[in-house]
Amino acid sequence: MASVTRVKQRLLREAVEENVFLVQGKRPPRRSGRPRVYRGLRAAFFVVAPLALFSLTYVVGRAAAEKTGAGASGLGRPILLSREPLPSPVVETPQAVVLASAPSFAAPEPIGREVFPLAVRRVVLDPGHGGENRGTASRDGLMEKELTLDIAERLRALLEGAAFEVEMTRTDDATLSLARRGELANRAEGDIFVSIHVNWLEDTDARGVETFYLGPTDDPYLERLAASENGDGSLRLAELREALERVYAGVRREESRALAEAVQRSLLVSLRTLDPGVRNRGVKTAPFGVLIRTQMPAILAEVGALSSEVDSELFRDPSYRQYLAEALFEGIQAYSRNLSDNSA
Amino acid sequence: MAKEKESGDEHVLNLGIDLGTSRSSVSASNGARHMIDSYVGWPVDMVARKVIKRDVLIGREALDNRLMLDLHRPLERGLIREGSEKAIAAVRELLRHLMALAGVDEALEKGLKVRAVVGVPAEALRVNKQQLRSAMSGLVDSLMIVSEPFAVAYGLDALLHALIVDLGAGTTDFCVMKGRYPREEDQRTLTQAGDFVDQQLMQLFQASNPEANVTGHMVSEWKENYSFVGEARDRVVVEAPVQGKPTQFDITEEMQAACESLLPHVTETMIDLISRVEPEYQARMRGNVILSGGTALIKGLGVSLQDALQEVGGGKVRVVKDPVYVGSDGGLAIAIDAPESDWELLQA
Repeated sequence: MASVTRVKQRLLREAVEENVFLVQGKRPPRRSGRPRVYRGLRAAFFVVAPLALFSLTYVVGRAAAEKTGAGASGLGRPILLSREPLPSPVVETPQAVVLASAPSFAAPEPIGREVFPLAVRRVVLDPGHGGENRGTASRDGLMEKELTLDIAERLRALLEGAAFEVEMTRTDDATLSLARRGELANRAEGDIFVSIHVNWLEDTDARGVETFYLGPTDDPYLERLAASENGDGSLRLAELREALERVYAGVRREESRALAEAVQRSLLVSLRTLDPGVRNRGVKTAPFGVLIRTQMPAILAEVGALSSEVDSELFRDPSYRQYLAEALFEGIQAYSRNLSDNSA
Repeated sequence: MAKEKESGDEHVLNLGIDLGTSRSSVSASNGARHMIDSYVGWPVDMVARKVIKRDVLIGREALDNRLMLDLHRPLERGLIREGSEKAIAAVRELLRHLMALAGVDEALEKGLKVRAVVGVPAEALRVNKQQLRSAMSGLVDSLMIVSEPFAVAYGLDALLHALIVDLGAGTTDFCVMKGRYPREEDQRTLTQAGDFVDQQLMQLFQASNPEANVTGHMVSEWKENYSFVGEARDRVVVEAPVQGKPTQFDITEEMQAACESLLPHVTETMIDLISRVEPEYQARMRGNVILSGGTALIKGLGVSLQDALQEVGGGKVRVVKDPVYVGSDGGLAIAIDAPESDWELLQA
């Protein structure tokens, strides 16, 4: 009896603690039953893997350079790298000028995912906008920041139900800079990053979904879209340059593309079962600030358009938002399965 | 436990509330226990208001007068339906009514503090809980929200090596009790529950009797009166109109198939959760599976689930004696046991 009372006291304490966090509008700390050693190994992987990649590239590069006699100059060409110049990000902005004049560097060729045993365990979800930054809005006042949070919460529940670990960049109506979002994602050591947004299209009859991963664009529409999503002004020029250099580091770019394709496919298949007329606006690259700052495969999904009255009406329905969350979930799962199969 | 401490604090009225999709119940430290159907209805027009002579009807009364009402079942899968101010208003009416039945108005008149513990589905999101806090604001002095199966486990003292399966109308909630407050991985929520059985029964009935005219409420009542799994002891005969003429239908097979459609979902989740427990405790967990909630009243359900456990080494499944009140009783036990200092932190 005494032990039951003790257990009850402990349970009550934890129940109260969780409620206090709820009262304060904070997310309770995760009490995972998973052994701490697992997290340690996981952290070790993230430290060791980049070092191993760097060492491998360096050693093989040195060997090849010595073989070609170029090693002494220090300008040798590692065999994993190519010297093709970077495609210039043709953006008619001051950033583009700086980028074009930046010293050229060798773009690594993609490294196959078989090099490392990859798996998706932790997903970082980023509900777009929030707080003072409301994003776009429908004519009748439905706000992007609310929709993205709602869909992200639904997606989180689905992912957690499937044993993924999930971190959210925001769980309430907080104003969060792009820098902060990237920082949170990197600190959480997410395996992938999914930013959720809702679009506004000039053609108000147009509908459709599109998914982005980081890269340059010369499409004026995408430039405008990126400018509007990057609108918090927190992106420095140097960061943009550094980020676009990182874009070409093979694995991350390739994995981002694969994730974007899986999510886009899933969104499209799901939404077309409701309405065959939903347009495939495609998988695209664009320099979104939030993708620039993340260090893991990252995508930004525009899951609809508030400019469309049809979409706005649909977004009002919780079951449609659940449907969208399920489509995103399917896409992430498909990507994760594919990753596990290929690295097995 | 609740009764023992009932007279512990004369200045407080403690409440345990099980807010359910189909039915909600309240247990109070003054001994009151009430259950109502989770329906709220407002008169559709002036004529209806004149006939009903009330601004709002709640529970069975609302169901019985539904033709004159703008009727709401404000809880979907055990949570406040989203995007609807009417749903929030309906939940507040429901709570107000439940609390009035439990003697809250008298308690307030006497200057007592009112504290409530409300159970929600195991996988309720934080936003859902915050919505509930908003709906309860001003109705109680302090509020604690816990997962429904945890409340059940607490009330039954089933805190260690027990698997609680709380079968409601909107959700079936699972909770593995390991002597600690349940973590996310200890809990699971399925949407296959009482309403799911209703849907299956409706589809099967309509497929074999397309000429009959039935509503969801009729089907739901059939299930509540005659549901079973396993071998049928009696034929299930119900009445439904065909072109206005009352006609009898034997729905034994349909009822059995609809109720048994629940079994694979519950069995699979039950076995999966048990298989995640440390191996040395799995047999004890299998031997302590507890079914609660209104849908646990399906005849033969416990025996069928116990049979299903045979494939993983056997176990024992029991249905609690009072499955409808066990959640609110558990909530009440928590409310009474929580120390004063903790309640101070949880003001509504």
